[in-house]
Amino acid sequence: MPFRYHLTDLANTVHFRLISLAFATLTAALAATGNEAIFEERLRPVLARNCSSCHGGSEPSGDMAVDRLADLLAGGKHGPAIDPGSSSTSLLVQYVRGERAPRMPLGGKISPADLAELVGAVDSMQPARPGAGGASAESQWPYTAPERTAPPRVQAGMWVRNPIDSYVLARLEAEELEPAMPAGRRTLARRVHFDLTGLPPAPEDIDAFESDRRPGAYERFIERVLSRPEYGERWGRHWLDLARFAESDGFAIDRERPTAWRYRDYVIRAFNRDKPYDLFIKEQLAGDELPASDGGEDSDRLVSLGFLRMGPWEADSLSMQKLRQDFLNELTGVTGSAFLGLTVGCAQCHDHKYDPIPQRDFYRLQAFFSATRAERRPAPYADAENRREMKRVLRRYEDSLDEAEDSLDAVQARLIDRFVEISGVADEDDERLETFRKELNVKNEFFRKRTGPIFEEPLWREWLAAKDTRDRLAELHARHAPVATAVSDVVPPDVPSVAPTFVMAGGEFDAPGESVKPGFPAPLAGTAQPAEIPFRSGSSGRRIALAEWIASPDNPLTARVMVNRIWQHHFGAGLVRTASDFGRNGDRPSHPELLDWLALRFVESGWSVKQMHRLMLGSATYRQSTHHDRHTEYAVLDPDNRLLWRMNWLRLDAESIRDSVLSLSGRLSPVRGGPSALLDVPADVAQGFEFFKWFASSPAEQRKRTVYTFQRRSVVQPFMETFDAANMSASCSRRNTTTVAPQALTLLNGDLVNDEAVHFARRVIGEAGEDRAAQVGRAFRLALGRMPSADERDQAVRAFADAPAEQALARLGVVLFNLNEFLYLQ
Amino acid sequence: MHPDLPRRDFLYRSLTGVGGLALMDLLVRDLSAARTDGGSDPLASRPGHHEAPAKSCIFLSMLGGPSQMDTFDPKPALTRFDGTPMDWSGEDLTDQPSLFAAARKIVGSPFEFRRHGESGIWISDLLPDLWPHADELAVVRSVQADNGNHPAAVFQMNTGFTLPGNPSVGSWVTFGLGTENRNLPAFCALPDFRSLPFSGSQQWGSGFLPATFQGTVLRWNGEAVRDLKAPDAVDPGMAAASRDLLRSYNRAFLDRHFTNPDLQARIDAYELAFRMQAEVPGVLSMDGESEATRRMYGLDDARARSFGTRCLIARKLVEHGVRFVQLYTPSQSWDGHVDIVWNHGKNSAETSRPVGALLADLKRRGLLESTLVVWMGEFGRTPDTVADRKTKGRDHNIGAMSMWFAGAGIKAGTVVGETNDLGYKAVQDVYHVRDVHATILHLMGLNDMRLTYRHAGRNRRLTDTGGRVIREILA
Repeated sequence: MPFRYHLTDLANTVHFRLISLAFATLTAALAATGNEAIFEERLRPVLARNCSSCHGGSEPSGDMAVDRLADLLAGGKHGPAIDPGSSSTSLLVQYVRGERAPRMPLGGKISPADLAELVGAVDSMQPARPGAGGASAESQWPYTAPERTAPPRVQAGMWVRNPIDSYVLARLEAEELEPAMPAGRRTLARRVHFDLTGLPPAPEDIDAFESDRRPGAYERFIERVLSRPEYGERWGRHWLDLARFAESDGFAIDRERPTAWRYRDYVIRAFNRDKPYDLFIKEQLAGDELPASDGGEDSDRLVSLGFLRMGPWEADSLSMQKLRQDFLNELTGVTGSAFLGLTVGCAQCHDHKYDPIPQRDFYRLQAFFSATRAERRPAPYADAENRREMKRVLRRYEDSLDEAEDSLDAVQARLIDRFVEISGVADEDDERLETFRKELNVKNEFFRKRTGPIFEEPLWREWLAAKDTRDRLAELHARHAPVATAVSDVVPPDVPSVAPTFVMAGGEFDAPGESVKPGFPAPLAGTAQPAEIPFRSGSSGRRIALAEWIASPDNPLTARVMVNRIWQHHFGAGLVRTASDFGRNGDRPSHPELLDWLALRFVESGWSVKQMHRLMLGSATYRQSTHHDRHTEYAVLDPDNRLLWRMNWLRLDAESIRDSVLSLSGRLSPVRGGPSALLDVPADVAQGFEFFKWFASSPAEQRKRTVYTFQRRSVVQPFMETFDAANMSASCSRRNTTTVAPQALTLLNGDLVNDEAVHFARRVIGEAGEDRAAQVGRAFRLALGRMPSADERDQAVRAFADAPAEQALARLGVVLFNLNEFLYLQ
Repeated sequence: MHPDLPRRDFLYRSLTGVGGLALMDLLVRDLSAARTDGGSDPLASRPGHHEAPAKSCIFLSMLGGPSQMDTFDPKPALTRFDGTPMDWSGEDLTDQPSLFAAARKIVGSPFEFRRHGESGIWISDLLPDLWPHADELAVVRSVQADNGNHPAAVFQMNTGFTLPGNPSVGSWVTFGLGTENRNLPAFCALPDFRSLPFSGSQQWGSGFLPATFQGTVLRWNGEAVRDLKAPDAVDPGMAAASRDLLRSYNRAFLDRHFTNPDLQARIDAYELAFRMQAEVPGVLSMDGESEATRRMYGLDDARARSFGTRCLIARKLVEHGVRFVQLYTPSQSWDGHVDIVWNHGKNSAETSRPVGALLADLKRRGLLESTLVVWMGEFGRTPDTVADRKTKGRDHNIGAMSMWFAGAGIKAGTVVGETNDLGYKAVQDVYHVRDVHATILHLMGLNDMRLTYRHAGRNRRLTDTGGRVIREILA
C-alpha cells in the first residue's frame, strides 16, 4: 500500500511548481537555508560514508571536520573545504579527485556515484554573498557587540509604523512576500490585553477602544493596559520561569522556603515599576553589594537575592561537599542561561562541545560565587510589601501559635497518659512508649502505621486536630517572618581565605583539578585574565563584579538575550528561537540586524522593558492578522513563519486559562502579593509527601491569580501540569504547548471550570437580565470579546432551551471556556 | 471572500498538517474497500509499507544508562584487571576529555554472570527475572550513541536527534500506522512522576509532526486520567447538548481558520476525550487482575510497585490495541557514577520483576506475537572509575551499550555484536541508536527511508539520512 507515501512526492511537485511560479527569485538571504538543505540531503550522506570516520566527532583528523556545513566552510589548515557553487575550486573535491596529495579518503577510494553526488551538490549551492563575512563572522556571533545599522529602505513604506517594520518588511520584500492585513480592533484588543496581563479585556474596554476615533487610540489602549498591576503579574511570571522560582527545596524532603514569595513579589513589582533591566540584574546577583539606595528599598535588595536561592537543594544529601558543589554548579549554569543565553552548564563536566567555552571558564565563572552561601537574612517589610499589615498579622500569628502550642501540649500529655493506661506501659523506658512517640512525630497521616487501640480513641482525633492547628499556624507564622531567602558572602578581610575554586573533573565534586580565579568567559570578555574585584565593605565584592559585567552596555549578549525574550512572548517565538541558547547549538537569528537594533535601543532607553513593549506592540508587524490571503503559498516556503508574514497564533498558557475563567466568573480575588495560597490537591497527590502535610488555603484565598499560588516542587497541580506550566526543576525559557485529550477532560469535567461556570452564569444573568438571547449575547461578549452571530445565538438558546437560566448559562459557560476561539489568541 | 478560497483550502490542506493526512487517508480509502470508517481521521489504522508481525510496541526506557558490563556483556578481563590503572590515551571516541584526563582504574563487575536458556544468553544476577526469558530475547551489545550528556542522549534515544524539536519514535509510528483503538490515545507515555525525563513532555512530543501524534501521559497512581467523568451534578442530556454545541462552534471556527492545524488537532483531542470517557475505566481497571498477577508484577513490593503497575497498564493498553506505549524509569535512575552495586541494585529491585512479569504475561496471552518489546537506556557505561574512588562506579560511555528486543518478529535467543575486551567500545557488528529506530520501524511494517514528513523545505525522517535495520535479530 505505498500510495499514501507518494504524497510527499506529490507535495514535492506542487511545492516546486509553486516556487517556480511565485518565487522565481530566491535571493541570497535564503541561500544559507538552501545550502544547509543541500548539505543535509546530499552532502552529508556522502561525507558520512567516506569521510566521517576520520573527520568527524570531537577530535577530527587534522582539525578538519565534516559534521556540519559550518565545518566545511571553516575548513582546515589550508582554508575552506568547499567553495559553494564551484566544485572545481573546492579543496575537498580536489583532494578527493587526487588533484592534491594525499588523495582522500586516505587508503580508500570514493565511488564514482558518490563523487558525482559530491560535485553536483557543491555546484548546486548558492555562492556566498560577497562581504557577508563568511564563516568566521558566523562563528563569532553572538560574541561580538551588536552592530548599529540604519533601518533598511523598503518599497511599501506606507506599511511601516516603526523601525521594526522596516527590518521585517525588507526581508519580506526580498522574498517577494507581502505582510498580512492588519488585524481588526477587537482582535487587537484581545491580543494586547492577554499578552500584557494574561486576562481577557472587559467588553466595555474593547468598546471604548473600538469607538475611539482620535489618532493614537491604539497607543492609548496599550498605555492603559501597561499601567495595570496585572501586567507585572503576567510578565513577572515569565521571569519566574527563568528564575526556576519555587517555594521549597525539592528532592525527597522538599522543605518549605517560607518567605520565597517575597522574591516573587519583588519580581512583579520590578516589572510594574519598569525597573531598569540592568539594575534588575544587579539586584538579583548582588543586591547586598550595591550601595544603599536612597528610596528605602534596602529590603528589596536582599529579597532580590532570592534569584540565587531558587535552585533545588538536596537537604538529605549524603555529602555536604557535594551539596555545596551542586549549589554552585546550578548557580553558575542558571546565571549563564538566564542572563547571557549561554548553556555554560555543559562545560561543568567537559569543555563545551559546541561553544567556545572551555571547562575552565565554567569554573572561573563559578568562582564569583565561591564566597557565597545560602542565608535567611533579616529584612523588614517595605511599604510596598504592606509593611503595617504584615506586622499586624505576624503578631496575631505569634499569639495564636503560642496558644496552639499550649493546647497541643495539654492534649498530648493526656494522650500519652491514656496510651500508658490502655497499653499497660510500666515505665518511661518501655520500648512501646518510644515507638508511640515516634508515631506522633510522623508528618503525614498516610505514613502513620496506626496500630493499636489508641488510634481508635476520640482523644486521638482531638490530638490530630490540635496538631494540625499548631502546624498550620507555625507555617503561617513562618511565611510572615521579616526574613529574606537570600545569600551572604564571606566578609573582608577574610576573602583571601575563601575556599578556592577548582576545575572539577567530570563535574564531580570530589575530583578537584586546577585552581582558578574569578573571570569572565574568555570568548565574551576577550581575555582570560582574572576579573578585577572591587572592594565592598561587608561582602566579598565578587558578585557585584560579575553583575556589573553582565549588566553592562558593552556585554554583547545581555541586551540581545533580553529583547529576544520579550519578542518571544509577544510573537510566540523569538528572533532566536532558542531563547536561552545563543550558542552554536542554538538557533541563528531570523533577523540579526533587527535583533541588534532592538538591543541597542533597549540600552539607550535606559534598559526599559516597557519601552520595548511599546515598540513591539506598536509595530505593524505585531498588528498583522493571523490570517493571510496567500497562506497556502507562503506556508510552503516558510512554514514556521520566521519571516513574519503574518501574526502567530498563541495558545493561552496554564495561568491565563485559570485566571481568565476566574475573572469571567467574577470571582478572581483582588488580593495581590503576600504569602501564597495553597490550592486543593487530589488525594493521590496529597498522599505523596512524607515530610510535610498540605494545608489548603481558604476557598477565597485559592481564587487569587495563579502566580500567587504556592509553588512546592513535589506538589504538582494537575491543572497546571496538564497545560504545560513550568516544572520548577530548572530554568524554563519557553513553555511547551501540547494538545492532548487530558486537557479536554480537565476543561470539560474538572472542578475549576464547572464551579466557576455557575458563577459565570449568575453574573451573566445579573448583567443581562431575563431575556435568554441577551444572556447569550452577554456571555459571548465576556468570554470571547464579541457578539454571537444570529446562528450561534440560536444554537445556544436551543441547546439548553428546557433548562432554567442558571443551569443553561453554566453549561454555555463550560462550552465557551472550552472553545478553540477562547484558548487560541488570533 | 475570495472566489478561489476552496481551491486554496484544498491545496493547503493537501500540503501541510493534518489535512495532508486526511487526503492521504482518502487516497487509501478509495483503494481499500475494506476500510469502512475513519474518513479524514489522521489516527485511523492503516497498513504500513510491508507486512509485519508487530502491531504494538512497548518501549522500556532505562534512563541514566544501564551498565552493559554488569547486565548483558560479561567481561572477565575487568575482573582480572580490577583496580589496575586504566589507559584511555589511545582512544578518541569519548566526548568527555577532561573526565578521562584524570587517573582512572578498572572496575570488575560486582555481579555474577550465568548463561541462561537453550540459547545460553549471558545475563547477570542483577536481572534474575529475565533468566526464564533468555530464549525470548535478542540482545544487541554493540549500540553506540552520539552524545554523552543525559539531556542530549535521552533526546537521541527518543527522537534520533540530540536537540529538541523532533518527533519521538512513538509519534513517528502512530503517524505511519494510526492506531487500532480509536477510544484510547494511540501513543501513551508512562513516566515516573518522582522525576520526569529532561524536558518532560518534549520527550514524547510530536516535534514538527501535527500535535495529534503526541504521546498522552497516563498516571499509574490514583486516577490514570484525571477528570474522566463529568461531574455528578451535570445532567447527561445537558452534557450531550454541551458537547454538540462545542463541536458545532469549533467546526465553524475551524472553517474560518483552516490554516491553523492546531485547531484541528484540538478538535481531535476532544473527540478522543469523549471516547476515552467510555473506554478508559474498563481498560485500566485493575479489578480483573488476579492477586497472582498483581504479585507477579511486583505490586506487593513498594520498590517495584511503580514500574510494576505501569508494566501491567502497558499490557492492558496493547491488549486493547494501543499502538505505542513508552515507560520511563526516573530521570537518571541508572546513573551509577559512584556506586554501581547500590545504584544498579536499586534499579534492579524496581524493574527486574515487572519486566519479567510483562514478558511472561504477554506470552501467556499470545500478545508477544504481535507486540515488540524494547529495553534500552540512552548510553552505556565505562569499565572504569576515577582512581581514588573507594566504591565501584562507572561513568557515561557512548561507545557501547547493551539493549534488547523481544516479541513480534524477533529471532529470539540471539546475541548480536561484540565489544572489546574491556567492554567500552563496540567492535563487531557496530550499530547506532538510529539503527535501533530503523529496526523498530521495520518490525512494525514501516520503512525508515520512506516514512517522511516534509518540514521546512526538506523531507524529514526519524533516522535522518537512514538507519540500518539490525538484520541479525529478525526472525
